Amino acid sequence: MLSPYRVIDLTDERGVLAGQMLADLGADVIQVEPPGGSSGRAVAPFFADCPDDSIYWAAYTRGKRGVTCNLEDQRGRDLFLRLLESADFLFESADIGRMAEFGLGYEALHERFPYLIYTSISAFGQTGPKAHYVGSDLAIWAAGTPLLMTGDDDRPPVRVSQPQSWGHAAGDAAGGAMLALHARHESGRGQHVDISAQVSAAQATLAQVLAHQLGAVEPERYGGGIKIRGQAIRGTADVADGYIVLLMGPGPAVGHFANHAVKWLVDIGAAEPELLDENFVTYADRVATGQADPALFPRIQEIMREAVAARTKQEMLEISIEYDLLLVPVLTVADIADSPQLEHRGFWQEIEHEDGRRVVYPGPPLNIMVDGDPLGISRRPPPELGQHNAEIYSELGMSAAEIEELRSEGVI
Amino acid sequence: MTLPAGSGPLAGVKVLDLSWIVAGPTVGRAMADYGATVIRVESPSRVDTARVVGPFHGDEAGVENSGLYGNVNAGKWGLTLDLRVPEAQNIFRRLAVWADIVCESFTAGVLARWQLDDQHLRALKPDLIMLSSTLLGQDGPYNQVSGFGSQGAGMAGIQDLAGWPDRAPAGPFGPYTDYPAPRFALTALLAALDHRNRTGQGVFIDQAQAEGTLQLLAPALIDVKNGGPALERRGNDDPQMSPHGVYPCAPPQGRAESWVAIAVASDDQWTRLAPLIRADGTLSLDERRQRQQEIDEQLAAWTSRRDAREVETVLQTLGISAHRLATTEDAANDPQLAHRNHFRRLPHALHGETVVEASRYILSDTPANPARPAPQYGEHNEQILKDVLSLTDTEIENLAASGALS
Repeated sequence: MLSPYRVIDLTDERGVLAGQMLADLGADVIQVEPPGGSSGRAVAPFFADCPDDSIYWAAYTRGKRGVTCNLEDQRGRDLFLRLLESADFLFESADIGRMAEFGLGYEALHERFPYLIYTSISAFGQTGPKAHYVGSDLAIWAAGTPLLMTGDDDRPPVRVSQPQSWGHAAGDAAGGAMLALHARHESGRGQHVDISAQVSAAQATLAQVLAHQLGAVEPERYGGGIKIRGQAIRGTADVADGYIVLLMGPGPAVGHFANHAVKWLVDIGAAEPELLDENFVTYADRVATGQADPALFPRIQEIMREAVAARTKQEMLEISIEYDLLLVPVLTVADIADSPQLEHRGFWQEIEHEDGRRVVYPGPPLNIMVDGDPLGISRRPPPELGQHNAEIYSELGMSAAEIEELRSEGVI
Repeated sequence: MTLPAGSGPLAGVKVLDLSWIVAGPTVGRAMADYGATVIRVESPSRVDTARVVGPFHGDEAGVENSGLYGNVNAGKWGLTLDLRVPEAQNIFRRLAVWADIVCESFTAGVLARWQLDDQHLRALKPDLIMLSSTLLGQDGPYNQVSGFGSQGAGMAGIQDLAGWPDRAPAGPFGPYTDYPAPRFALTALLAALDHRNRTGQGVFIDQAQAEGTLQLLAPALIDVKNGGPALERRGNDDPQMSPHGVYPCAPPQGRAESWVAIAVASDDQWTRLAPLIRADGTLSLDERRQRQQEIDEQLAAWTSRRDAREVETVLQTLGISAHRLATTEDAANDPQLAHRNHFRRLPHALHGETVVEASRYILSDTPANPARPAPQYGEHNEQILKDVLSLTDTEIENLAASGALS
């Protein structure tokens, strides 16, 4: 769908997913790295059979072409400007002010390439009192507020063990850049898209980031559940081989799932058939007016916890589908690798790397049909350092001798 | 006739938003921010869960009080339709023909039973762009799994990955798959719109929200799929940074606790931090990780005597990544978020004023402004039926009598 467009992707480990999102939709994305390689190539984890090869970098450069270009050198900057001549989008995540030092800041490039959509990804945004703060996954998650809401209440708040912050920011960068593309169709002009990872992280709070300003209480963290005004509600349960997400409650939004759970408990003989007469959609209202027993629902929750504890994650998933329960397994990374659902959907794709290794990747994030036909999926492996230098620089009209000269002088 | 157009790059783009809760509506919110005319369709009988989840205005639960519903539906027009009623289905078909983009998030197969799915709508409008967004996708053995993003967090591995290795998973806050999924959906819808404008071709997008979230776990997934270890939760430990964690600070008046996040990413940064906590500044990453507990205790002893804001300022001045763990009150007073004008106050018919987050991107030439707060239940029923579908008063009365609207 985006095949008419070219992306110059200057991001490092901060935001490298954004360009890939456009690559997965068909754009020609060229990852630009310094001749010594991006700092993203040093980010863990690394391939078991190739310990210098960053899986992180491979994960988010799959589907892109790659060149090197030394922006510290004037000839490198001139070369970079030539790359931009055919570009619709630029993504960058350099430290604040660095692009301007190179003469590649937004104002300079907008003057030279008014058509270019220039997207900057940073921890806190391009300007403002914290613009020069040093960002990190943990600090961004702290500043955006989700970190304080996460974790066991008797220990420090805790993050997700695969860092998330820059992924959220990259997702916003892709969306913001596409909005700017539609603006360009109207105005004929590109513009600057300024992404703050702090703001992106605030998305991961279910709008609780607004709590104070709306006059609501501050959310509190509680492991495996939530705590409201000091009252803890567990949202998970133990099963024989791990955990499940189990949300059981009365009320108009989820009460019918509780009714379904009672049906299952009655069917397996764990609860008495009379309970089938109870309707948990209206139960809370009736408790409030004294027409229903407030002890009933906690008792059913207890029965439910005992019933699931004796079964496995997989058994509970099948029961959940059969009875329409609000219940799923807490899958581990190892479980996801073996998921029949992902297998069925053709999620995994094997890609042959330049050195012949065959590597299994997660597929693109969406299944897309264009005019009734599946959108083609690129199987382009992540580029080796400078892999497409000759190809791309010759597309710019440079001779083999010129390219060799730039290489020997460390420009590419 | 139509509703008053918005302003911005998507002015004139028409979106029929049948999705609910967070993952789908967030997409429509972004399009409304940039000028699209978005009609949010709600069931009059099955309340949108976002309306019964806080944070609530004045901390008082109520279907018109939800800050969550307000945040993901600002700028939209509201219509109630009971799609089980045939007359409502006809209205929906006519609106789909009006629309450029239809978004929905029913369990796979539900819309097909009403003949309102992509295939049926495409017969009426061949160049339709449609997003169907579910937890696990339209097909496959588990496509009927019910759930919110909290279930998605379980199925996408995130639940298991947040927490301590010696404890049950703590999980992330809330329905995590609702956070990454809208980014992928929005980007693809805008690409589809661009493609349709050039080619006249319609596009169908089958989104599994869990698969969007898995993109943010891609390194761990590639590792395990290619002979590496399966990542497990490890608290705040980071294999390439030390010290790295959340440390206690002296709580300000009126708070029970206060924390600061600190991430030391290089030996240089450690050399600058070490003197503050009377540690050996020459230690390498490996040596620091071997003595992690001792260093964490030294660092915690230093932070716990100080206000989190002071720790943040001192360390950032030294070029070390640190930030207090912001409460939502801190966010309200954060000078950086204020600089970005991130919190927007909008006049509200019931509350006098409400607060929503701004667009998550700042576009220099076409900045976004939410035009109005999220609709109350059925707020624009009459306006939509008259202005978009040109229904007469009698036709609207008949429609109401059929039960289509309530």
